[in-house]
Amino acid sequence: MHEVDVVVIGGGPAGMAAAISAYESGIEDVWLLERDYWVGGILPQCIHDGFGNFVFGEMLTGSEYAQRYINKLRETGVKVRPNTMVLKIDQNREITAVNPSDGLIEVKAKTIILSMGCRERTRYQVLIPGSRPAGIYTAGVIQRYINIEGLMPGKKVVILGSGDVGMIMARRLTLEGAKVKGVYEIMKTPGGLTRNVVQCLEDYNIPLHLSHTITNITGRYRVEGVTVAEVDPELRPIKETERYVPCDTVVLSVGLIPENELSKMAGVEIEEKTKGPAVDEQMQTSVPGIFACGNVVNVYDLVDDVSESAERAGKGAAASIGGKLERRKTPIRVKTGRNVNYIVPQIIRNKNLNESTRFYFRVKETEKSVRVVVSANGDKLLEKRERIVRPPEMVRINVPPDTLDKIKGDELTIDVEERKK
Amino acid sequence: MNDKNPRVIKKIQKTFAKMSFPNIEVSLEGDVVHLEGSVDSWDDVVRLGYQAGKFKGVGEVVNNVKAKGVVPKKETRQKKKLTTKIYPPKLPKKADVVVVGGGVVGCCIARELSRYNLEVVLLEKEWDVGMGASKANSAQVHTGIGEDSGTLKKELCAKSWPMYEKLTEELDVPYLRNGLLVVMTKDTFSGKMPSFVGNFLSKYLIPPFVVRKGKIVGDKPRVVKRKELLEMEPNLTPRALVGVFHPGYALVCPFRLTIALAENAIQNGAKVFLDTEVTGVLVEDKKVEGVVTNRGMIEASFVINAAGVFSDDVAAMAGAKEFTIHPRKGVILLFDKEMESYITHQVSLLKFPRDPHTKGGAVLMTVDGNINWGPSAVEIPDKNGREVSKEEIDWVFEKYSSALPNFPKSSIIKFFSGIRAPTYKEDFYIKPAKNVRGFVNVAGIQSPGLTAAPAIAELALDILREQGLEMEEKEDFNPVREGIPIFEKLSSEKKREQIEQNPLYGKIVCRCEHVTEGEIVDAIHSPLPAVTVDAVKYRTRAGSGRCQAGFCGPRVARILARELGISEEEVMQKGDGSNLFMKSKVRKRGGKHA
Amino acid sequence: MKKSYFVTCTLCPMGCRIEVVVEDGKILEIKGNECKKGEKYAIDEFSNPCRILTTTVRIQGGLLPKLPVRSTEPIPKKLIPSGVKEVKKAKVKAPVNYGDVILRNIFNLGVDIVSSRDLEKENKEEKNG
Repeated sequence: MHEVDVVVIGGGPAGMAAAISAYESGIEDVWLLERDYWVGGILPQCIHDGFGNFVFGEMLTGSEYAQRYINKLRETGVKVRPNTMVLKIDQNREITAVNPSDGLIEVKAKTIILSMGCRERTRYQVLIPGSRPAGIYTAGVIQRYINIEGLMPGKKVVILGSGDVGMIMARRLTLEGAKVKGVYEIMKTPGGLTRNVVQCLEDYNIPLHLSHTITNITGRYRVEGVTVAEVDPELRPIKETERYVPCDTVVLSVGLIPENELSKMAGVEIEEKTKGPAVDEQMQTSVPGIFACGNVVNVYDLVDDVSESAERAGKGAAASIGGKLERRKTPIRVKTGRNVNYIVPQIIRNKNLNESTRFYFRVKETEKSVRVVVSANGDKLLEKRERIVRPPEMVRINVPPDTLDKIKGDELTIDVEERKK
Repeated sequence: MNDKNPRVIKKIQKTFAKMSFPNIEVSLEGDVVHLEGSVDSWDDVVRLGYQAGKFKGVGEVVNNVKAKGVVPKKETRQKKKLTTKIYPPKLPKKADVVVVGGGVVGCCIARELSRYNLEVVLLEKEWDVGMGASKANSAQVHTGIGEDSGTLKKELCAKSWPMYEKLTEELDVPYLRNGLLVVMTKDTFSGKMPSFVGNFLSKYLIPPFVVRKGKIVGDKPRVVKRKELLEMEPNLTPRALVGVFHPGYALVCPFRLTIALAENAIQNGAKVFLDTEVTGVLVEDKKVEGVVTNRGMIEASFVINAAGVFSDDVAAMAGAKEFTIHPRKGVILLFDKEMESYITHQVSLLKFPRDPHTKGGAVLMTVDGNINWGPSAVEIPDKNGREVSKEEIDWVFEKYSSALPNFPKSSIIKFFSGIRAPTYKEDFYIKPAKNVRGFVNVAGIQSPGLTAAPAIAELALDILREQGLEMEEKEDFNPVREGIPIFEKLSSEKKREQIEQNPLYGKIVCRCEHVTEGEIVDAIHSPLPAVTVDAVKYRTRAGSGRCQAGFCGPRVARILARELGISEEEVMQKGDGSNLFMKSKVRKRGGKHA
Repeated sequence: MKKSYFVTCTLCPMGCRIEVVVEDGKILEIKGNECKKGEKYAIDEFSNPCRILTTTVRIQGGLLPKLPVRSTEPIPKKLIPSGVKEVKKAKVKAPVNYGDVILRNIFNLGVDIVSSRDLEKENKEEKNG
């Protein structure tokens, strides 16, 4: 059994940044395990731009962003093992993995950084009735087919879901010669960034049907068409509005689910709202020595934030090995206040931190002219103005270390308050 | 024809008139009632068929009544001849026995026939065996308690279930005997009588009756009182009163069983041809001469019609249509393996009055650990009508949540449908054709068809013998078939060995089920090759997990293209017309793929 | 004749719907923007909307069959579809380095199309799924 200081599981943007950060914090014995045959995670198939605005100050494509981290990784002594699938982690941080050249690998890790990312919600999970022909894909899968494998999944496409991936693929399919008949979104507002509504749908005259869903898929061997319908305020389809749309491909962009099977095996507590591990300011989970970062913790909008959270995890793992973390007497539980859906991190365990803690949160509803207020046990600690807050766009707020240290009680709350003009 | 018969016709017509269908033509051929006419809805067609079948003296029903507005769907897909490096082989010109239909029954019959020195040919019109009801059922090995006495279903099921342990061991197919709990609850008699009466009946009068039913079929059932019942199944509804445990009930993997039967038959000399559809049966002088298929003709004096939901169509080709199949669709919901230990036994809630056409369904698990609920039952006119409707999904959710009220329904990973192939007498129809020597109908297969397959096959062979087939036993018949190793289930030691022998076993392709590239490649090159994405799935489980091929889909397609020597654009999901990819307009074709 | 054109600003999550009022090809007024940056955005979007071109090209002998590429600068939006077709004519051979020029000076705009990543030669022994 190998013994390793830091084992990072998942070599996407989160894993790469975490491994680099752990190494740069002084830990030489770092392994990065990746199941695909290259590192980069989902980024190599994201050939569109919009990445790295914050980390690099440039608008890069996903593959460029990945390449920069791959180059950095090459400069470190991190041992990268591709084609390696982790089969299990037990509660003692013992990892069993497998790859064609080494066979079965057993590792005892001092610290583990979970960065497995997420998977896509399927047609079955959203209960779309109908037949089960070829031609039904989730958006990430056809992105891989088109951009990596060079294959066209279909010619006449209907897209369900106006999340970022769905809109990006609407544009990509169009530029590769397919006809995208429409994007159908069950909510009354688009699910992704406004930038994508403009540059993917409006630019290409792809109709966006809000408050609509797919109620049936037809076709025995290959998709022949779908039935779409408007939905009522309770999101139930209105039968009288049903319409048949002939097509040969259905693309689903109906949500991402953090992949936490290994986390659960390792005994890590998962939060219901985020579907990911509850983490502290070091990105450490409920199990000492196990950290988590990136989309496995909660689904981020920007890869820049993924990298930031991963850097923290890497530093946290290094600090934990070096015994440099000082525990607070009582941990601070982070509570969701007005119009806040969930917050990461969920708990502050340590004190005398050497940098600010960045809180990420999502709001429940769109609001304009608001004030984000951080308070602890009734006392306001700081606030930040925002012109607008929307559920698809995560909000960030930094809290300096001494502000956290000064908190005597055990609760910190983030509220979104109306700003009276 | 004896003089009773015209009376039967009159009785049926009278009944129909009472049902407001005075214009149905009723005739009798031997003991088979023929119905002709036109009604408004498909449900009416089915009702007429049942009513006619209920009469004494009626052996079967041929129901040609048409429903207005029900237009038979045209087959719209294009058939392309796909030539791969390894498939398909050429049809032989002659055979001793042709088995039409590669479902679990057809494959079981082929395997039994391969014990003899005979040229056995199995013809299957889809691109894999088991593509009909054989792969889309609740995968239970029933003991026969749910069948009416006096039926062939009950007789053959009771005969077969004890054979399963040995059969699945020989064929290297997953099998789990965890037993069935038939549970009486406060709702068993709900609405029909005051609750204290219903509860009394449920607790004291029904259980011994259920126990007796189990004993009759050779099982060792016992009554389980409420306390023990809730210890056995802590998540069971608190409205449970008492249960009866049937230890003989088991689970099997129905598609791996069908494939294994076909492979064992092949290993013992039988030939299986996929994508081969029987389009005609040659009959001369009231004797079978051969079959006509889309790939050519085969001379044969003996034909087994095991064509499932299409068996009446095949029978008609031979002039032996002595029954009508009325398709009955069932929907099953499958849940995430995470819920694996939510229940450990199969559980069926008893409710009166009983639904006459299903056994009531159950909440249970697959051999692989996926909890599943179902099935439902809806009569449909279209033999290919496998669309799952919202109403069916809702119905299954509602009906079975009474058994497991706190089950997280959001853990659903798949729903699917299967089409049962019942006749109007609702029993197996296993008989030599009345007017065509050598043609044997093995039809009307609905539950417990999967369980009863071994005994059905024995009966079919007996009939062939009676019809004059010379059956000389082989000396070297090998009943043992080894399947592809299941990497996930190997011990660490065996995993290491397997990877050393074949490094492809170290490359995980399906992340949900931990299926390796080695298993997928072995499946593609197995005795009955997997040439579609679904065929790979049924042999290896790649794509049957929670992400439903989201991760492994692109990889499996690539492997299939590589191993079969075809382009990715030729890779099919499940058969002609189900290609995964289309040619792009923008890019130029040319150059080799990686 | 006054005419109004609408653009959705993408500079910040506000996503202001900005109205550009035009007469005889001249911009008369801009309204609906919450900030000055939006005004400039609207003017640019109306007069000369540009986008970064991203697509994939076929690559011979590479670890993967496709190479992702991008334009070094944004190019006029209306030239994107034909730009994609033009780029796809390029013949590329592995290995390629991140930043290598695939197509120089597309449509004479002074903008190059470059590789978005390193792509190594395919390893003939390791052809796996």
